[in-house]
Amino acid sequence: MPKSKSDVLQGTLDLMVLKTLESMGPLHGYGIARRIEQVSENTVSLNQGTIYPALLRLEQRTWVKAEWGTSETGRRAKLYSLTRSGRKQIEQETEDWERVAATMARFLSPSN
Amino acid sequence: MNWIRVLLTRCAALFRSKKLDADLDEELRAHIDLAIEENRGRGMNERQARIAALRAFGGITQIRETYRLQRGLPQFEQAARDIRYAVRQLRRSPGFALTAILTLALGIGAATSVFSVVNAVLLKPFAFRDPDRLVVIRELQEEVRKESIPDNYRHFLRLKKAASTLEDAAIFQQSGLSVSPSGEHPRVVGAVSSSPNLFSLLGVQPILGRGLVDSDAQKSAGSVVVLSYEGWQTFFAGDRKVIGQTLRIAGQPTTVIGVLPSGVRLPRIALAPKIAFQEAARETLLFQPLVPSERDLNVDSGNFNYKVIARLKPGVTLPQASAELEALQNAYTFSAHLSVRLGIALTPLAKDVTSGISGTLWLLFAAVGALLLIACVNLANLQLARAVNAERETAVRAALGASRGQLVRSRLTESLVLACAGGAAGTALAFSGVRFLIALAPANIPRLDEVKVSLPVLLFSAGLSIAAAIAFGILPALRSIRVPPQAALQANSTRAANTQESHRTRGLMVDAQVACTVVLLIVTSLALRSFSHLMRQNRGFDSSHVTLAQVDLFAPQYGDFSTTTNTAKLGFADRALAALDQLPGVQSVAVTSAMPLAGENWVDSLSRPDHPVPVAEQPLINARFIDPDYLPTMQISLVSGRNIAATDRANPYVALISQRTAREAFPGEDPLGKKIDPIAPDDNHPVTVIGVVADTNINGLRDTAAMVYVPYWTFTPWTLSFLVRSSQPTDALIPEMRRTIWQIDPQVAIPTLKSMDDQISDSVAADRFQAMVLSGFGATALLLALLGVYGVLAYSVTLRRQEFGIRIALGSGKSALIGLVLRQAAQPVLLGIGAGITMALIALHWVRSLLYQTPVLDPLAVGGSVLLLLVAAAIAAIVPARRAASTDPMRALRAE
Repeated sequence: MPKSKSDVLQGTLDLMVLKTLESMGPLHGYGIARRIEQVSENTVSLNQGTIYPALLRLEQRTWVKAEWGTSETGRRAKLYSLTRSGRKQIEQETEDWERVAATMARFLSPSN
Repeated sequence: MNWIRVLLTRCAALFRSKKLDADLDEELRAHIDLAIEENRGRGMNERQARIAALRAFGGITQIRETYRLQRGLPQFEQAARDIRYAVRQLRRSPGFALTAILTLALGIGAATSVFSVVNAVLLKPFAFRDPDRLVVIRELQEEVRKESIPDNYRHFLRLKKAASTLEDAAIFQQSGLSVSPSGEHPRVVGAVSSSPNLFSLLGVQPILGRGLVDSDAQKSAGSVVVLSYEGWQTFFAGDRKVIGQTLRIAGQPTTVIGVLPSGVRLPRIALAPKIAFQEAARETLLFQPLVPSERDLNVDSGNFNYKVIARLKPGVTLPQASAELEALQNAYTFSAHLSVRLGIALTPLAKDVTSGISGTLWLLFAAVGALLLIACVNLANLQLARAVNAERETAVRAALGASRGQLVRSRLTESLVLACAGGAAGTALAFSGVRFLIALAPANIPRLDEVKVSLPVLLFSAGLSIAAAIAFGILPALRSIRVPPQAALQANSTRAANTQESHRTRGLMVDAQVACTVVLLIVTSLALRSFSHLMRQNRGFDSSHVTLAQVDLFAPQYGDFSTTTNTAKLGFADRALAALDQLPGVQSVAVTSAMPLAGENWVDSLSRPDHPVPVAEQPLINARFIDPDYLPTMQISLVSGRNIAATDRANPYVALISQRTAREAFPGEDPLGKKIDPIAPDDNHPVTVIGVVADTNINGLRDTAAMVYVPYWTFTPWTLSFLVRSSQPTDALIPEMRRTIWQIDPQVAIPTLKSMDDQISDSVAADRFQAMVLSGFGATALLLALLGVYGVLAYSVTLRRQEFGIRIALGSGKSALIGLVLRQAAQPVLLGIGAGITMALIALHWVRSLLYQTPVLDPLAVGGSVLLLLVAAAIAAIVPARRAASTDPMRALRAE
């Protein structure tokens, strides 16, 4: 495993999943996992399976909802989609994340 | 509220786990399928595509496990597992489980039963509006005695008008009145006559009709009554058209104007602390307006015949109200030139009502707490032994990766399972325990009818179970994590177990148990000594073969309180005495104005025309109106002078006084022939002392009464007690007496008809209750202590079998071995006894007031308790000691 890949930071997976659903619309677990891998350009080492406990967590918090449907290839699959409170959560978490990132950036910038 | 939703979905998931598991499997399969498809699209073959898909996915089993944890309630599932495990463990040792559950059931059952009484009688607020602000007001005559006395009507009016700390105050009397619903023989029921504002003061609204209003208390008003809910049920069977109907009360047709809601009960409030009537148990069914008499409105000193209940203004404290009323009383004393300085005594209602019994109840509650503690220590000991036995298993679990938390939890769960089972059984027991306590309890405990296993009681019981589980489970549980796994696995487990430390812990527990038992035994034996002293002391009268009939002449033919004519009542008394004397087997018949052993009654200050002293220095006496046969019937001996004789009837102004009265009113003088001021109401003949009779404890076994006896010819009260001494058994006599009395007048009530022995026994019901319940607790504690000592010793003997085998093999004698084990037992027991006596010294300080003429360091009680415990401990120790001595050395050594 190349060193440059980093483990998914705790708590960031939720936001990645939500953001994926926002941009892609209803999607099955495999699709979400692939999408995250692609967007991160394979810099994130994601055991695809870990997406499922995360999805369940989001579902319990009513940020996503799940329904059985068919995939683009016609296979029966569980499709996840964003709920209204999920959208609100994205705004909230994006804000939080940006604040943390900005703070970290200030610490890490060479001028310091 | 997000977490609630999460919790709910998680809870729901617990019940649909099969379906959800299938769902998850299907979803994961879909994932792999989609991945394979994509991989194949990239040109892999079937096998490569599958391997790549699985690799990218990660560990399927781990994901499934994480998913399940996220889905359900892992803590809950863990707990369920722990419980299953604990139940399995307990089923493997049913003897232990049964002992533990039974011990706990008894302990928790007893504690819950006592608590339900404590809760209803002492803790539960009254069903009145803001009951915390209700106070009972009594007066003090400061020079006379420190004890409060009932209230004077005029003083009440003044205080009510002037006091700014009181929102309202009501004056009332509680009595028995005879009611004859429909031509039957009348029965006597509890009645209250009060100022009309009583209901509004208490915050009580009638459910039918109206309450009392001021115009009801006018002299000209027709007589009206408000019924309590029970009264309505009793006399009108709950008829909703009761308003306006009439009820014959004391012979008078009385109009029903209202009915109170159920659950509204005015507790019996004592006139004064010492004046406690036995008929207190009568429930109040009637509420009538108090119509003040001329005497009430005009007399300023004397006529202390009323009870006053008041409501403090919001925010006013008891000391503030006390200070204001005290100042008002003092000012009035001064301005009205009263001979005695008036004071005031305020008591919160709840405290006042329970003052006679709260000490006993708290004592029983403490005793049952000690009992439960002893039971818990016993169980802790057993659990500790089990934990030590299970050390190897604990070590294996720890070695396999169980966390400390898990180990402690699984041990504690076992205790919790036991406690829950014990608690459930105990609560079930409490239902019969409460009934048993009520049956045993003296009938005059206030609010006894409200005692039941209610919600607070159930909560108490549940809390107690959990507390017990923690109390007896925590030590063994903590112990289990201190065992280093390698040590337990390497060594022979029983050797590792029998460390010096666990030995010391068990010794300490025996100490604690013995100490608690000693305290409980000493308190119990003191209560028993006190009770036996109360029953056996010289009373000055003989109650055996005497039967008592109390008769109430509350009927129009005997006149009301305003008439002074004696003739009708006197005629009845004469006819009744003559008729009762004719019954078979009767030796003598007497009449007295107050039921014996029913508390102080007709208390007056004695004054002498030849030797006037300030009111404050006049001794207080109990006046009784008797006939010449009273002394022989009660077998009270005459000390000097002569008894009242039939020949005195023409000139009945004579009196007998008791020795105490002679001492207090005629110190250093011969009272015979001296005159005292009139005793009978509305009489102005001084009476001459013709005899001195022996002191008796006729008003209550605890006190020597100061008495003045006057012939009933001078005054015959409305309530008479006939005493019949007969060779006939009481059971045969009772119907005869009732028939005889009702032959003379069917319209008189006979509220009490029983043997004098029963009357004595009823009068000490509270003492007997205390002694009996404590004896039960003491015996149980002794049994538990015996089991505790036995258990610890038997266990240690089993562990030391090899050692004993070696000792015997080396030539140690049997008696030496027995001595060894007994010495081992003696140390914690003796230490415990020492600690127990020390604790008892502190506890007894508080018990003192509940004992009758028994010193708290009564040598027989203390010595007897210690001896009893030593004997029990010796019995408990001798069995394991003999087992140790009979160890077969060959077998013990081979077992290694």
